[in-house]
Formats: sequence, C-alpha cells, structure tokens
Amino acid sequence: MKTLISLVAGAALIATATAARAQSAADRAVEAAKKYAGSEISIVWEAGLQSLDPLNFSGPKWEELTGIKVKVIEVPTSEMFTKILQEHRAGTGAYDALNVIPSWMPDLVNAGALEELDAYVDKYGYRAELDSIAPTYRDNQMKVDGKIYGFPDDGDLFILYYRKDLFEDPANMAEFKAKHGYDLAAPVTWEQYADIGQFFTDKFAPKIYGAGQFRQPAYGIWMFEERFRNTGGKFFDADTMRATVNGDIGVAAFEGMRNDNKFMPPGVESWGFVEALSAFLAGDIAMTISWPPFGRWAAGYGTDDSALSWVPKTTIADKVGYALPPGGSPQLAAGFSLSVSSSSPDKEAAYLFIQWLNSEEISLQRVQLPYALRDPFRESHFTNPEYLSRWKDAPAYLKTLRAGADSGLLDLSILQIDKYEEVLRQATSRLWGGEDSQAILNDVATQWDALTDRIGVDKQRAAYTDWASKPNAYPN
Amino acid sequence: MSTLANDSGSRMNRFADRNFKYLVIAPAVLILLLFGIFPLVYTLLVSFQNINMMETDTSFSGLLQYRQLFSDIRLWESLGHTLLIVAIALPIELIAGLMMALLFLDRMPGRQIFVALLVLPTMIAPIVAGATWRLLFDNRFGPINQVLGWITGEPQAILWTIRPEYVYPAIFIAEVWQWTPFMFLILLAAMSNVDTSLTEAAEIDGASRLRIFFKIMLPAIWSVMTIALLIRGLDLFRIFDVIWALTQGGPGTKTETISIYAYIQGFRQFETSYTAAMAFLVIFLLTIAVMFALKRMEFVR
Amino acid sequence: MSAAAARRRLSRRRAWRLAFRYLAAVALTVVFLFPIYWLFSISLKTPDEIFASPPAWYPASIQFDNFKVLFKDGDATTVWNSLFIAGTSTALAMFLGTLCAYSLARFKTGGDNLAIWIISQRMIPPIVVVFPLFLLYVWLGWVDTYHGLILLYTAFNLPYVIWMMRGYIEDIPIELEESALVDGCTRWQVLVKVVFPMARTGLFATAVFTFVFAWNDFIFALVMTRSEVTTYPVQVTHYFGGQSNFWAKIAAMSVLGAAPVFVAVAFLQRYLVRGISMGAVKG
Repeated sequence: MKTLISLVAGAALIATATAARAQSAADRAVEAAKKYAGSEISIVWEAGLQSLDPLNFSGPKWEELTGIKVKVIEVPTSEMFTKILQEHRAGTGAYDALNVIPSWMPDLVNAGALEELDAYVDKYGYRAELDSIAPTYRDNQMKVDGKIYGFPDDGDLFILYYRKDLFEDPANMAEFKAKHGYDLAAPVTWEQYADIGQFFTDKFAPKIYGAGQFRQPAYGIWMFEERFRNTGGKFFDADTMRATVNGDIGVAAFEGMRNDNKFMPPGVESWGFVEALSAFLAGDIAMTISWPPFGRWAAGYGTDDSALSWVPKTTIADKVGYALPPGGSPQLAAGFSLSVSSSSPDKEAAYLFIQWLNSEEISLQRVQLPYALRDPFRESHFTNPEYLSRWKDAPAYLKTLRAGADSGLLDLSILQIDKYEEVLRQATSRLWGGEDSQAILNDVATQWDALTDRIGVDKQRAAYTDWASKPNAYPN
Repeated sequence: MSTLANDSGSRMNRFADRNFKYLVIAPAVLILLLFGIFPLVYTLLVSFQNINMMETDTSFSGLLQYRQLFSDIRLWESLGHTLLIVAIALPIELIAGLMMALLFLDRMPGRQIFVALLVLPTMIAPIVAGATWRLLFDNRFGPINQVLGWITGEPQAILWTIRPEYVYPAIFIAEVWQWTPFMFLILLAAMSNVDTSLTEAAEIDGASRLRIFFKIMLPAIWSVMTIALLIRGLDLFRIFDVIWALTQGGPGTKTETISIYAYIQGFRQFETSYTAAMAFLVIFLLTIAVMFALKRMEFVR
Repeated sequence: MSAAAARRRLSRRRAWRLAFRYLAAVALTVVFLFPIYWLFSISLKTPDEIFASPPAWYPASIQFDNFKVLFKDGDATTVWNSLFIAGTSTALAMFLGTLCAYSLARFKTGGDNLAIWIISQRMIPPIVVVFPLFLLYVWLGWVDTYHGLILLYTAFNLPYVIWMMRGYIEDIPIELEESALVDGCTRWQVLVKVVFPMARTGLFATAVFTFVFAWNDFIFALVMTRSEVTTYPVQVTHYFGGQSNFWAKIAAMSVLGAAPVFVAVAFLQRYLVRGISMGAVKG
C-alpha cells in the first residue's frame, strides 16, 4: 500500500513538474508579471503602421492578462536612436522597453543604454524558446560580446518578387532563350538580372518595365552591402582595418547599380518604399526587391483591413513568384529586436513583457496580424499550417523566407556604424548624380579609414572581428 | 529720436513712470534669461570637453573641438552653401513680397480672401511643405514634369532632387514659395500704416508711382522692412526642413547647409562637443554679420 | 488742367489699375496655391488615385474617409493640442514682447547691446540647444507637459515679437504720444490708447507669424514630448514610415492644421485696413 501511494505521489509530482516545464514561456511571463498588476510600463515602438501591434493587439491583451498597462511611445524610425540615447544620457528613466534595430546594438551597449538580459532569461526559463528562433536572427541579432541584449523580433530581409505570369509565358520564354541562350527564370546572378530586366523593358516599355526598386540614397546602404558581398567583396582588411570597398568588386557593384537603372522606369532614383510598392502592385514592373510585406500585400492578404487602406489594391494577386535576390544571400535589412532600457525603474516588468511578446505562442499571432509589419522569424512561423493556408502561394512565400533566413547577410555593424552608413548614403546620392564610381568609392574608403582612425583602430578591429565572425556576416 | 521724459501724479505713479521703461521689459527679459542662459552656458562648457557617442569625457579638452573646426572642409562648404541660399533667396523674397504688398495695398473687392489665401503657404508645416514639393517634383506622381512635358511636347524626366544641376532650383522654388508670403504680409501691414493723404497728394500732383514709392513709402516702412530682412535672413541661414525633405543635403553634400550638417553631427551621431563648438562659430559669425548690418541700417536711414 | 479734369484722369487710371491688379491677384493666387491645392486634394482622393501614375489632377469624387479616420483614431486631437499651445504662447509673447519693444523703441533701453542680445537668440541653430533645454526640463519636471511647451515657444518667439514690434512702433510718428502725455495721460494709458491702436496692423502681422512659428515647430516638440502631449507636426511625421507613407493622412492632417490659421487670418484682416489718416487724429 505504501509503495502504491508513493508511486502515485511520485507520478503526480512528476506530472506537475512536467506540466510546469511544459508551461510555455508566454504563460510563465504572464504568471510572473501578475505581481506588477496596476503599474504601467512604456515601450518605444516605430511610429505608424508598426505601432498598431502594441496599440490594438499586444498591449490590450497584456493588460487583460496581467493588469499591467502598456504605454506605447511612437517615434519615427529616423529619430528612434536619437531619442533613446538622449533619454538615457539625461537619465530620465522614461522608457522601460525598447525596439532597437540590431545594427545599433553595439553602439547602444557601448553607451550603456541597454540592460543585459541573461539573468532574466535564466530566471524565467526562456533559453529554449530563444533557441527556436531561426538561426540567422538568433545567432546574429541577439548578443553583443556574447551577452544577450535583445530578442530578435522581426524577420526583415530582401526578397526578389517577380511576375510569374510574365516569366512563364511561352512567347517570352522562347524569345528570351533565343536571345540569351538560357532559360527565363528568376535571376541567380546580377548579370542575369540585367539581362532579364533589359529584355522585358525592350519588349514591353512603357507599359511594363523589367524592374523597379526603392533606389533612394537612404536604401543605398543595403543595396550596396548586399550586391557587394554577393559578388565576393569584403568591407575591411581584417588585419590592417583599412576599408577595401574601392576595389574592382566595389566599382563593379556601383556601376552595375547605375546601369540597372537604365531599364527601370525613369526617375527610379528617387523612388522610396511606396513608389516601388505601388508600381509593383499596379503591374508596372516585372521584378522588384523588397521586404516581406510586399509579398503579403501583393497577394492581397490583409489589405482589406482599414489600417492598410492606403495600400493600392493589388492587380497581380496569384501572379507573384518569390525568389532570393541574385547571389542567393539576401540582406537582412534593418530588422527589430526587443530590449530593456538600462535606466528603467521597472526592468523586470519590462523584461516580462518582451519575453511574452517574443514567445512562440504570441509571436505566431503577431506575425499573422493583417496589418503586421513583423515578418516571420521563428522556425514555427515558417511551418505554421494556419499561415501556410493564408493565400494560394503562401507556402512558396514562406519557403523563400525560410531560405533567406538561412543564407541572409547581416547589416554591417561596428562602432559608430551610423557614420559609416552616412558615408554610403552620400556615395549613393553621388552615384545617381553622375560622378565616377571609382572616385566616389575612393572617397568612401578614405572617409571610412578616417573614421576608423578617430574611433581607434584596435577598438574597431575588435568590433569588426566580432561581427565578421558571425556566420551570416559574409556568404560562405 | 525723442524720449518721453515727463512725469506726473502720485509718488507711486512717479516711480512707475520713471521706471516704466525697465518695468516693461522685465518679464520678457526674465523669460529670455531663463531659456537663453542655461543652454548657452551648457553649450559653451561642452564645447571645451570631449563628449561624443561613445565617451562622456567631461574633462577640459581646451580648444580641441575648435581646432578641428578649421580643418573641417565639410563645415566650410556647408557654410558656403548656406550663404549662397541666403544671398539668392532673400532678395527674391523681398522684391516679390514688396510687389505683392503694393498690389494689395489699395482696396479691391475680395481682397480679404486673396490675402488670406496667399498667406497659406507659411501655414503648412515645413516638413509637410518639403514633402509636398518632393511629391510635386516626383517623376512618377508629380505634375511638374508632366506639365513640362506638355509644354515642350515630349516627356520630361527631370530628376529635380537627384541631379546636381536641378537641386538648387528645386530648393529655391520650394523655399521662395513658402516664405515670400511672410515678407508680403509684414510689408503690407507696414504700408497700410502709411498716411494716405501724403501719397494721394503726390499722385494728384502727377508724381510717378515709382517716385511715390521711393520717396514716401520706402522711408515710412524702413524700420519694419529692414527688421523683416534681418529676421528672414537669420531664418534662411538656419534653413533645414525643405532641404532635408528634398535632397537630404545631397547629391553627396552639394546642398548641405550648416543646419543639416549640425543635425547629422549632433542629432544622429551624437558629436555633442563638436556640434557645440560649431554652434559657437555660427553665433560668432552671425553676430558680426548682424552688427555690421545694423550699423548700415542706421547709417542709411 | 482743371481740378475736376485732373480727378477724372485719376479715376480712369485707377480703373485700369484695378483691372490689372485683379488679373495679377488671380494669377498669383493660382501659382501660390497650386501646391496647396495638390496637397489638399490628396486628402480627398482614394488610395488608388493617390498612387496613380501619371498623377490624378483632381479626385474623381469627393470623399471624406481620410478625415473620418483621423477623428476616429484620435489623431485630430493633436491639432487641438497645437492650437492651444501655439495660441497661448502667442498671446503671452505678443503681450510681453510688445511692451518690451515699446521700451526699446522709445527709450532705447539697454541700447544696442540689449537689442543684439535679444536677436542673438534667433541665431542659434535649434539642434544645438535642444538637448540642454531637455536637460533643464527634466530637472524642472516640465517634459511632456503643456505648460512646458507653451513657455518654450513664448521664449523662442519673444525676440521675433520684440524686434518686429520695435520696427512697427518706430515707424509711428511720435507726436501722437507726446501730445497724449501733454494732455495728462500716464505712460500706460498712452500705450493702450494711442500706441496699440496705431500699431494694430503690425500687431496683426506679427501675431500671425508668431503663431505660425509655434504652430509649425517640430524639433522641440519632438524632443520635449513623449506620449502625453503630441503636437500636430510631430503627429504628421509619424505618417512618414520606413515601410509606409500615409499620404492621405498627411494631407488630411495638413488641411486640419491649416484651417484654423486660415480662418483667423481671413477674419482678422480688418486690422490690415489702411491706417487712420493723421489729419483725423490731430483734429
């Protein structure tokens, strides 16, 4: 009898323990946060569409579950870094949780603005669910110097979208094969991209152009970093820490970018996100390279939502093909990680909120919000049956995103990266302005070297080596 | 110029009267002190330190930042661009403003509506005005290239915000559009105050409009006009929103003004100490310019 | 030529002039208002019309959905915030500044040095001053408050008001005030009874732009507020996203933002009526 009782008790104990461990990270966060009920935490979020997530969905839900009120502080992306650092420097403690772009993390950590999260992660058992984030984001957008400072929360990357119907049209295929000697398909090299772009423009302009893209100098950073690395370029010589962007590969990248403009619609150099979007959705361009939302909105997913009423109605639903940009290693442009401000008076409550937001259960819902700008970033997102059934080509879409998440390339991230990026932005505007590519890139190299010297060659070398050692810094 | 040195009444009144001129400036000066002194002192201190994004080194660094100013070509180029913009936009705005004020000086049916409409450009937030002009100049969504195409008979794809030869015209168009109404309204108000009997008498005597303008009108509005020029000049010197929206200082740094450079350095890259030194350089240069201008104003009058 | 003939000639000249002036006025209005028309018409367009290429010159049908959204989402209250903040700071700045200007104009108080110190406030690029002021505000506890912004805009507009009103006052002949003093008025009565009425065109013009400067400010509102107090320029920048551009909202907000000032300028224009003839006052 005694044995039976102890067996039953033992089994019951094991059952509860398993159940407790099987309790999700989201649930654990909610349970632990209840003791802060009645308080308020603030979170900095990108203004506009992105903020609808915490305003309409996650904020109210969190409050319902834990009694903690969420105050969303909307800040335009271009001012986010400034405001975060200013509030930190002034020691106001006004921000509790933060959204940060991963490439800013070294600078913010250096300035002491972000809270180290390892202790909290262990306390609330979040390691397991952190591990199930897609490796690219997990291994590259979470840590600085081996310590956790943010949870990757957005699978931003560049995807090549193309008009399947045009590519699969027999007449087009025959003509193209005759002209170029290989099959018409999504381009895998930049030469093919130019061939295909020119082909469609020759045949269909001005009704349809071969390609279009956001070409404004602000996007030049990502365009160059992607193309440069996909064609074998390295940013610095790791030993001397001198910039090597002005070699043949760099010049070829710049020249290629400029030549590609020729088969794009006139004025493409001033295109921003919405110009490219509206052109693609109206069917004016056969190819474009952009972030994941293009794919969702081109399929018409979510565009009925009032928040997306500004998106032009798609005329190409079911006609869109998805591929990785030429070279096969897409830029993981921008992205967002969730962090905790080091000067917050409510660090634990803020931490619990971001654990909950980032958890398997909740993030799955968040990436499927019709107005969501958060893109899939967890393994489970890419294979989720509900997502896969959202539109006809959703499986192909998620498959491409997953492939990109494997081979994607990180934004360059070293100390005071903003200054290096500013140089690239200007270089792009000079490129469109008509200056000689080699001259521009020589200036870029000179300015980058001057910056490195000012920051301290050894310090920067350490930061660069740390970055370059990440699996997704350069294509393998 | 005469002074009013008269007093009357009780001792209280006499005190208030005698100290009238000081009492009356007190509140304004106090507020200006509160908001003016601290930032200035802070900026001065900071300019002698070495604070940037990575370090908050508050030890005295002497003239480190100031010495850097002189070897910073980009800084002097931006000052050059700024002066260029002031030198071209200011006269245009003055002359256009004067002409518009003269146009609306006398009564005419519906004048109230015209004037209210013409002041609208200044009421659009500068960021929005800049963005609107970007849209107008846009090749895909904007009407300007479209209209040019109609006029010349073939499609025009002028890249107003990209090509170096078009960026300055684009900036001037947007800037003059937004701020000429400022000069217009101020001068209209000044001219409205001028005694009509003088101008009417001169007209009947057969004096040409030009003579009336230069001999009667201009001297009567001189103070206001020169001050408006001064204010507008200082504001043009700090021009930011329109250029940021159109070109962000590009291509390269071709349209980068001192404000844009200060924004990038101070706001984006947190070169706090260096920007502080830049600020003092600007204040120094402007003070000299303003003092020079003021002396000339008084002299000519 | 007889006096009657001279006057007939004058009125003929006037008639021609009026016709020409009218033409010029209309032409000017069309040119200046075209960009505003473009912006405002976006607020009435549907999303497809907004992104049409070549651009749609007018909306196919007038629909106010874009405005409705602003009111529903509460964005429109930022216009009210700005109205309150800019209005109060304008009133304060106009009152204190005009008093100060009078002293400078008539008494040369503080001489050139005070005048130059006052205008030097406008020489400082705002970018630089923003952070120290932010620190000051943190210490005072004025961040993200209405009174914080009101006082800030008052302080920043005072130099403008003082200098502009000094100019308008200097252009008023001093004899009126002297004769009022001789008649036994106190300084304050002179101000209220003589100076303010005589300077009303200047007061009007200065007030308009004092309001506009406070109304349109972005950089200070951005740094000094977080979530409690949002002004309309800051709200508008939320519509310029990295991955979105709510042109419909930008345009609709701009209409809402320009409307109050436009209405005020239109109605207060009687202060721009040509001044009282000197003869009338002297008599």
